[in-house]
Amino acid sequence: MEAISVKNLSVAYEDNLIIDNMNLSIPKGEISIIIGANGCGKSTLLKTIARIIKPKSGEIRINEKNIKKQKEKHIATQIAFLPQGPICPSGITVRELVSYGRFPHQKMIGGLSIHDKEIMEWAIDETGLKDFEDREIDSLSGGQRQRAWIAMTLAQETDIIMLDEPTTYLDMSYQLEVLEVLERLNKKNNITVVIVLHELNNACRFASNIIGLKQGKIICIGNPTEVITTENLREIYGIDVKLQLSENKKYPICVEYELMRG
Amino acid sequence: MKKRSFKITTLILLSLLCISLILYLSWGSYKISPLDIVKTILGQGTKMQNAAILNNRIPRMLVGISVGIALSTAGALLQTITKNELADSGIIGINAGAAAAAVIFISLKTNNYYSELGDLSIYVLPFMAILGAGVSATIIYFLSSRDRVRPKRLLLIGLGINAGLNAFITFFTFRGGVSDYNRVLIWISGSLWGAGWNYAKIIMPLVIIMFTIVLINYKKLDVLNLSDEHAICLGLNLNKERKKFLTFVVILSGGATAFAGNVGFIGLISPHIARKLVGPYHKNFLIISAIISVVIILFADVVSRNLFSPIEIPVGITISILGVPYFIYLMMKEK
Repeated sequence: MEAISVKNLSVAYEDNLIIDNMNLSIPKGEISIIIGANGCGKSTLLKTIARIIKPKSGEIRINEKNIKKQKEKHIATQIAFLPQGPICPSGITVRELVSYGRFPHQKMIGGLSIHDKEIMEWAIDETGLKDFEDREIDSLSGGQRQRAWIAMTLAQETDIIMLDEPTTYLDMSYQLEVLEVLERLNKKNNITVVIVLHELNNACRFASNIIGLKQGKIICIGNPTEVITTENLREIYGIDVKLQLSENKKYPICVEYELMRG
Repeated sequence: MKKRSFKITTLILLSLLCISLILYLSWGSYKISPLDIVKTILGQGTKMQNAAILNNRIPRMLVGISVGIALSTAGALLQTITKNELADSGIIGINAGAAAAAVIFISLKTNNYYSELGDLSIYVLPFMAILGAGVSATIIYFLSSRDRVRPKRLLLIGLGINAGLNAFITFFTFRGGVSDYNRVLIWISGSLWGAGWNYAKIIMPLVIIMFTIVLINYKKLDVLNLSDEHAICLGLNLNKERKKFLTFVVILSGGATAFAGNVGFIGLISPHIARKLVGPYHKNFLIISAIISVVIILFADVVSRNLFSPIEIPVGITISILGVPYFIYLMMKEK
């Protein structure tokens, strides 16, 4: 089953072609992590799937239906996206922010239903923010803030979640905290998770499917043990890496890396 | 500032509102005690009291309240659309568009700006003002958007349009000679002079309907307050909603300007104070902002009427005198 599929997709900023005739299918119920050098089109790909950028040509299907043929609010009940460095209106509390996630499910008139409140409760619990729900976002630490945004994304009650570099600017423990929340959601609730990530070792550890991009083209796609190879990483990043298997032999780790010479 | 609970804030503001209502009805060149006010409203007043309260102060108060709510709501909407706390229909030229249209309309009808408008004109005037506000909003909107609206550009272009329109109004009124110029100036600065039942019966329903519609849309406004990317992901049609709310701004500020002139700053400061008090959750903050604007405009109008009595200064000027220091304070605090 495909959660997202992309056919012959081209995306350009004015004349600058970012994604070139891409075909991609992202499987349901897995954690797919997109890696690639700066400017390779990772974020652009997510933004195009999230309808923020209009593609030049091609087709995007979510849950096997063309997004052009569905209502905006209806798509928002199937796929959620957390952009990079989200902006928060100042003075808003965690609970209020999470309630915004219910927007696509709400009718025009009326407040939060019992179901809305249950989902918000669940989202706040899952992200471990129970004690902070009445605190203002501005007063939270980086990790807590990022979890609040994830809670809002969860409150959207979708079976696909996309996140653009959710761990950037977080220290190592916060990075793990965020990724573990996502892993748990994937395992427990069978939510399809798509993440753009820079840390290669985290990507290998959490992904069941890795997508390597270079200049808007897919270099490799598949299980980390298969696709994270010295050749592929040289192609994607232009670096020479030394790889070895993790202690539990489940995923590769990059132990040393150097810029390619010559 | 720590966010206080919505209920306590509302209670404090409502008591302030009561004080301003009583003060508004009792203080004047003819003073009436609060007890007599109640009596008069219940139909037991003397002839003088009836004339002062029922025919003068209550209709003027109702127009003032409507104008305050209209402008603060328009300001709040603009601040959310542009994601900029310095936006206000008076600053970006929407009020000026309404005022320009109104001045042209009145000049074509009569040369005497103080004379009461005829019956038909009273109905046509708000339409003309809303039309003028609409034209200026449309120009600002199209100049500030190529593929999508850029809030910062919208604000800057609005500032320019505002300057241009004010120059146009000045030029237009200058031709009429010095005396007319002075008269129009009062109207342009925003004044509740001469606001009677005939004004109240038009602006009140307009503001009640528009304010209700805006309140019903509070969830969309909340989402609009997030980044554009987030709003799209949550399934909001950004451009459609922006246009819709801009239309509401035009109707509210055009209607207010038609009857009270270009009352500045109230649309800027009321939403801002409200956001400080109860946060940016629109359901709460739109109501608080409306109450604050009513308190401000009533106090300001009491001062305008009485401080230099029998000469009356335009309420817009009183508000500006209070508003300018606050505006500068905002600028200084901006990080």
